[in-house]
Amino acid sequence: MTDPTSIPPTSNAIIWQRQNLRELPKFRDGTTYLYLDHTRLEQDGRGVRAYHPEGMVTIPAASLSVLLLGPGCSVSHEAVKALSDTGCSLLWVGEEGVRLYASGLGETRSAARLQRQALLWANPQSRLRVVRQMYAMRFPEGLPPDLTLQQIRGREGARVRDAYARYSRAHGVKWDTRQYKQQDWNRATPVNKAVSAGNACLYGLAHAAILSMGYSPALGFVHTGKMLSFVYDVADLYKLEVVLPVAFREAATPGDDLERRVRTGLRDHMTRLRLLERMAADLLHLLGGDDPDPEPMAPGDLWDPEGNAAGGVNHAGHDS
Amino acid sequence: MTLEAVPESLRGELSRWLIEVQPGVYVGNASALVRDLLWDKAVGHTRRGRCTQVYRASNEQGFVIRTHGDATRRVVSLDGYQLVAVRNARHAELAQEYDPPEDDDKL
Repeated sequence: MTDPTSIPPTSNAIIWQRQNLRELPKFRDGTTYLYLDHTRLEQDGRGVRAYHPEGMVTIPAASLSVLLLGPGCSVSHEAVKALSDTGCSLLWVGEEGVRLYASGLGETRSAARLQRQALLWANPQSRLRVVRQMYAMRFPEGLPPDLTLQQIRGREGARVRDAYARYSRAHGVKWDTRQYKQQDWNRATPVNKAVSAGNACLYGLAHAAILSMGYSPALGFVHTGKMLSFVYDVADLYKLEVVLPVAFREAATPGDDLERRVRTGLRDHMTRLRLLERMAADLLHLLGGDDPDPEPMAPGDLWDPEGNAAGGVNHAGHDS
Repeated sequence: MTLEAVPESLRGELSRWLIEVQPGVYVGNASALVRDLLWDKAVGHTRRGRCTQVYRASNEQGFVIRTHGDATRRVVSLDGYQLVAVRNARHAELAQEYDPPEDDDKL
């Protein structure tokens, strides 16, 4: 019966183990983002290949935090799997990265931080504390502890207005008002376009930081009600410092390709500010969460008001 | 720096400054001036061969890549992120399918 030809030849292929999450560079050590459009992503061997109009490029997925996929991109199932294994967040964005449509999953397999975020979020007192902490981070001189939330928002509004006015003077770019109209993008002023393009990058990065560290983008503290509320919270901590200088500088420079120049300038600026490292540290500072990662393959526990019960066990003996 | 199919004298010139860790692969810690002079020398004497240079820089990736002499591989900068683009047969085949926008045809 045995057909000798069916014996598989001895294979010299390397057997790769399941990706060990610990061997991945931590989020803070990675590189920020890569924007691709009109590109086809495929897996090849152990790598991810992008067929870009310029040529085939291999994506350093394990060190990359966010991959922004613009119009004309297609991704194979295997490529998404490879990217998710290495903890590279995938975001589907509009042309030049100005709108965010959808996102993939981060690299944490434990829910401990998400649960802590939910606890802090659900209790009005602890939520207010986090909100105050978030506002306090934007004022280096500190905030008086007796200010009401309304007063804090007033100060924040003044801070934002002053920042726009300051950059407007410094770069000689006229500033009227922030326009959010995504429908008629081409009619917005250049500086508004520049700010929007920069914000989209920052949102992408904040989103990736939140997912990568195991928090929920939906449970916002200052912002509320949107699926990305917490993304807006985190991005607002850095927006003025990160996006405005680059956006105003590029808007003041004549030439085409404004959005691209903003993204390029932003990359250098974010590196100088060590933004990834700061985001990671600030998130941990705000929400806590330095529990050791549990064994990723182990089953989760079952909740019990008396204390969690072990999961992955048949509890049939306990029904009497 | 790496060299491929270049004249023997160029290899000798590089080995005066850098260590040849493997055939054609040169490593060393040179000043920016020496690095640029070596690159100019390499480009000037490559003839039909190929050379690349990678050096430390204070950008996000921490280094800069430059290549010379290889028509199928070239360095592209995607919003400031340097990657190597290979134009091989598979790329040519797929390029017809995903139809890059027209302004990219100029590149």
